[in-house]
Amino acid sequence: MTPALALVQAAAPVEVGSGSNAFLEGLVAALGAYLPMWALWMGAAVTGVAIVMGLISLIAMFSVWLERKVAGHIQCRYGPMYVGWHGWLQSIADGVKLLLKEDMIPRDADRMLFMLAPALVLAAIVAAMAAYPLAPGVFFADIDLGVFFVIAMSSMTTIGVVMAGWASNSKWTVFGAMREAAQVVAYEIPLGVALLVPVMVAGTLNLREASDLQSDWYGMGWFMFKNPFMLPAFVLYFIAALAETKRAPFDLPEAESELVAGFMTEYSGIRWSFFFMEEYAAMFLMSALAAVFFLGGFESPLTWAAGEFFGRELFVAGANGATELNLQAIPYHAVAGITLLLKTFAGIFLMMWLRWTLPRVRVDQVMTMGYKYLTPLALVCALGAALWEAGKQALLG
Amino acid sequence: MQQTETAQAYVKNIWDSVKTTLVGMKITWRYMLQKPITVQYPDERMPIPDRYRGIHYLEQEKCINCLACARACPIDCIEMEAVRHGKELEWISFTLDYQKCMFCELCVYPCPKDCIHMGTEYAFVTFDRSEFKHDLLSFKGMAREARIRMKEAEVAKAAKEAAKAAKAAAKGGAAAAEEDKDGE
Repeated sequence: MTPALALVQAAAPVEVGSGSNAFLEGLVAALGAYLPMWALWMGAAVTGVAIVMGLISLIAMFSVWLERKVAGHIQCRYGPMYVGWHGWLQSIADGVKLLLKEDMIPRDADRMLFMLAPALVLAAIVAAMAAYPLAPGVFFADIDLGVFFVIAMSSMTTIGVVMAGWASNSKWTVFGAMREAAQVVAYEIPLGVALLVPVMVAGTLNLREASDLQSDWYGMGWFMFKNPFMLPAFVLYFIAALAETKRAPFDLPEAESELVAGFMTEYSGIRWSFFFMEEYAAMFLMSALAAVFFLGGFESPLTWAAGEFFGRELFVAGANGATELNLQAIPYHAVAGITLLLKTFAGIFLMMWLRWTLPRVRVDQVMTMGYKYLTPLALVCALGAALWEAGKQALLG
Repeated sequence: MQQTETAQAYVKNIWDSVKTTLVGMKITWRYMLQKPITVQYPDERMPIPDRYRGIHYLEQEKCINCLACARACPIDCIEMEAVRHGKELEWISFTLDYQKCMFCELCVYPCPKDCIHMGTEYAFVTFDRSEFKHDLLSFKGMAREARIRMKEAEVAKAAKEAAKAAKAAAKGGAAAAEEDKDGE
């Protein structure tokens, strides 16, 4: 069995019956005679984490390059141009530089917390990333509480940030951490309530199922078009997501002009880059949630056409009852995966565009916006959407 | 009364923030699509005006060692030394101290032979102060580099103009051909 096939089988959808542990079971069957059980499980876990980490690094590298190019062109300059075509390898050069930098820990810092914080931040985002579906039939974990899991895990990063700010033993970092905590507490509510609107319409928290529900209307049955309260909910969600991922205009925790670099002032080298990777991975996840729950997930007319032409089931029952990989359906899954990726990066681009458009808001303005505007409006949206859905069911049966 | 005003302000705030954000995004979008106005500096350079006053350029073979420029210099940064053998001049040095020079161009006007000029080279960095006092003679040091750059720029400009002319000609020819067809 090729590694790629093993990966696909590892991520087999639940209805095939193999469950998400097919890879582990296969591994146990193949190697069980030679290795102890704990080694097998450890190996499987390390493999999974390594794949997700690789994905996060790739996303962060591409996003950093994109950010610099977008920033450059918005300011009428080129951005990176020398390393590769239009500087597309710039991130690799930067990564090497970061790896080679001196790893400094301030003398008066709380060493253990200081070293633990970046790891915690990255671990949380790696865990959240596991819920991202690569294609309708290929994903790391098919979680029924998908949205809940992602939001819970990406909120975990706040603990790491506060930890980093406190352990650094510096005024700037503590202020950054305080702002982060206040901001996240304020914006978790509108974020969750705004996401409740599509969740209510879908009736599921599972990312893959929510995407499937939008496949009608020739692939254009996006939740966005299915309920009049969805567009304001999307705008509210996006604003809250900006604040949640510490992006401008809500980048108060790392406000350069006031706090040097906020909570990561004292970090250097690879530890600093962990925070950076976390930021871009969080952007990716927030955009992915927006894409799945508002913008149709995998669905587009092209995906629909590919599905009609090639078939949708990645796994079919074989001749003697065993599940088999349906090679014909691979183009459909590729198209679907690329569609979701494009939608996600469209969201990331929008975040970058906003960052280079808007000036940073003041601390009290952030709080006012979160508590006085976004939260009530999100509640109104949720209530309206609920009444709309109830009315629709009462009228149409 | 008070309350209605507050409610109006609330709605107006929301409306204003959405509207102004969209206006700002429109502006940045327009900037993003336009061609960047910067150049890739060490590889390309902005066109330099003809009367730009950069590092001096000396036409050594014309110079008669008359010291007119050195006398004209308000801060005495030009020094020259030569030995005369009949009609021949043997140059020893012609130095300009760029730590002092203020690029006023006063040395250029009094020259009877029109042999000292302000060049176009401006980028000029060293690790040692003494290197700022540099010799304009016989294509030495920075003067030599400046002269090479000037020549390169001239050649590039000529090539560009030739290419442009060729393109225009080709286009004109094509247009003429089109017209001929139409005529037929």
